[in-house]
Amino acid sequence: MAKAVGIDLGTTNSVVAVMEGGKPTVVVNNEGSRITPSVVAYTKTGERLVGQLAKRQAVLNPENTIYSAKRFIGRRYAEVQSEIKNVPYKVLAGPNDAVRFEVQGKLIAPEEVSAQILRKLVDDAAKYLGEKVTDVVITTPAYFNDAQRQATKDAGKIAGLNVLRIINEPTAAALAYGLDKKANETILVFDLGGGTFDVSILEVGDGVFEVKATSGDTHLGGDDFDKRIVDWLAEQFLRDQGIDLRKDRQALQRLTEAAEKAKIELSSVVETNLSLPFITADASGPKHLEYKLTRAKFDQLTADLVERCVGPVKQALSDAKLTERDIDEVVLVGGATRTPSVQALVRRLTGGKEPNQSVNPDEVVAIGAAIQAGVLAGEVKDVVLLDVTPLSLGVETLGGVMTRLIERNTTIPVRKTEVFSTAEDNQTAVDIHALQGERELARDNRTLGHFRLEGIRPASRGLPQVEVTFDIDANGILTVTARDKETAREQKITISGSTQLAKEEIDRMVVDAQQHADEDRRRREEVEARNNADSIAYQVERRLEELGDRMPVNEKARAEQLISEIRQLVKQESSEIDRVRRLSSDLQQLSYGLASTAASQAAAGGTGGSSAAGGDDVIDAEFRQNK
Amino acid sequence: MEDDSIEKLKAENARLKEELRREHESFLRSLADFDNYRKRIERERAITALEGKREMVLSLLNVLDDFEHALKHIDDSPASVAAGLHAIQRRMMRLVEEQGVTPFESVGHPFDPALHEAVVSEESDEEEPGTVLDELSRGYLWGDSLLRPARVRVAR
Repeated sequence: MAKAVGIDLGTTNSVVAVMEGGKPTVVVNNEGSRITPSVVAYTKTGERLVGQLAKRQAVLNPENTIYSAKRFIGRRYAEVQSEIKNVPYKVLAGPNDAVRFEVQGKLIAPEEVSAQILRKLVDDAAKYLGEKVTDVVITTPAYFNDAQRQATKDAGKIAGLNVLRIINEPTAAALAYGLDKKANETILVFDLGGGTFDVSILEVGDGVFEVKATSGDTHLGGDDFDKRIVDWLAEQFLRDQGIDLRKDRQALQRLTEAAEKAKIELSSVVETNLSLPFITADASGPKHLEYKLTRAKFDQLTADLVERCVGPVKQALSDAKLTERDIDEVVLVGGATRTPSVQALVRRLTGGKEPNQSVNPDEVVAIGAAIQAGVLAGEVKDVVLLDVTPLSLGVETLGGVMTRLIERNTTIPVRKTEVFSTAEDNQTAVDIHALQGERELARDNRTLGHFRLEGIRPASRGLPQVEVTFDIDANGILTVTARDKETAREQKITISGSTQLAKEEIDRMVVDAQQHADEDRRRREEVEARNNADSIAYQVERRLEELGDRMPVNEKARAEQLISEIRQLVKQESSEIDRVRRLSSDLQQLSYGLASTAASQAAAGGTGGSSAAGGDDVIDAEFRQNK
Repeated sequence: MEDDSIEKLKAENARLKEELRREHESFLRSLADFDNYRKRIERERAITALEGKREMVLSLLNVLDDFEHALKHIDDSPASVAAGLHAIQRRMMRLVEEQGVTPFESVGHPFDPALHEAVVSEESDEEEPGTVLDELSRGYLWGDSLLRPARVRVAR
């Protein structure tokens, strides 16, 4: 089955995402990366390189390595004069003033370059997914005109793809956050990428987005922030050591990398160390670079860059005839929006609003495109958002603990079944106490419902098999069923609203459980120790009955004493866990002795409670209390 | 009257059938997605175990780079220091090799973007254009695939 993918065809880097089972996933390329450089190179040997490989040889082949083709696609030669100055490859005018790149004597259109990139992206995606990919949704900036959009679509065609739609980048970002579900809201998309800055104001209603205004700066991005750090380091070094590192290609490379790394670190810590030993050498020997950069200093170095973001935001608002108070949602796009000072600015400019940034800002556009691709390809009628059960569900079992059947945050619809049994001999009914919550003890959790299953045939405890099923349907309605496997008798209850809990309530219960975790665990261990002791006592008791007089008197007395002590502790719900465990262990040892006694006496072993002691409970599940 | 309600029922029936077909289709797609996802998880499981190590190994390589740089200036230091640094470097190298990482030679080889990243090109009298003149940092393989390209200077 062919898949439809969403492609963020960026100026510097491109990202591909696809819908799988209703969830968008970013595709990993052939080189193992989630982003692919938007670079195409034509080598002397006639090879065409795309992506990372093209980037690696850029320095050797600058005239034939095309990057930032997006700055030229769909534009006229007369419009791009300033862009031409920034690139080392030859840009000429083609027919009708179209832009052409001159590469190895041939003229190539920007659409063809983009087509190469799209081809590689799609081939890698097909390989990654193990499926054919033919249908795509490609994103473009909101300010792209018809010619630019058409050219992008043509690039898709040249690549042999079926372009389902061209959608706007800010719209894609809004889709990624499900903002198409909003009614009559105003969304501000703040996109600060590697090299470009775009502000868009969108209005959404009835699942349709309308672009009200766009603004930006085509040459402002994260790269500029890196450069500030590089310059600062170089200036310091020049002052301290008298050498300008920027003149040394290799040193500059190391500086740039260190600068980028430092910038990223400063998004989460307030200071970082830049250490580049043996960065260069002169007559007096090797030189090392060692500087500390604080976030405050970084903010100072980049203050003017951040300030440059203000104008476009204000311009866009003004063009849309709105003020900051009219903004309902803010969406952050582009890695540079992780910078604390940028986020502070965004909050300032939008009246303190909390921006949407839970989706990776480098990938959010591709993800939105994938969502759109899924809808257009008919895979998803409308985006199906699957619900989860917010808290764990289970039943009360022997000792008053909660035994979970369904873990919290399990996607629904879901159904889980476990087999339980009776706690006492000849128990003919079981009580099903359905619970919701994260605590270990039943009483600390929320009761969902209670019911009884009767008519269980009298048998030794642990023998009857009662299947308990928790079934939550797509609407969140929970049905708890208990079924006696032998008699096929069944009882059930239906509980609605178990998935509808206020977020505060859920959070409170989770935190509560965390705070009581140690205490709860201890209590559970006590219960389990008691249950275990009780179980051993029961088995040994049965054995004693079987063996009757064949058992040596003193051993029998000892066993009975241990059993009596254990029973006492269990009845009192003792928390002397060590004592309980010790008694269990002693009784266990004793029962091993009994086994060998029985064997050596070649007694016909009774049916129930067979061979080895202990782990022979047979039923792995827990026991139920009889009320 | 009756014909009317029969018509209505027929229409409803057709509509329901169509809806059922669509739902079924949707269901099958989900199953397929799930299946594919599961298959991919299996494939990725092995890779993921390595991914965690990858970051760590890459940062170890940075330290190895520092050693390379240090050792270039070894003549300036007392012999004992030189020996010490060499020893540490060898030790570090072994740690990395134990993880399945191997350095590869680039100098003298033709430039290959699948293995090398060109940092600068230079005129050279001795070497053919396109030949790697020297390494600014070493390249490493992890098993068969590229872990880190070598940063090189290439003859023009």
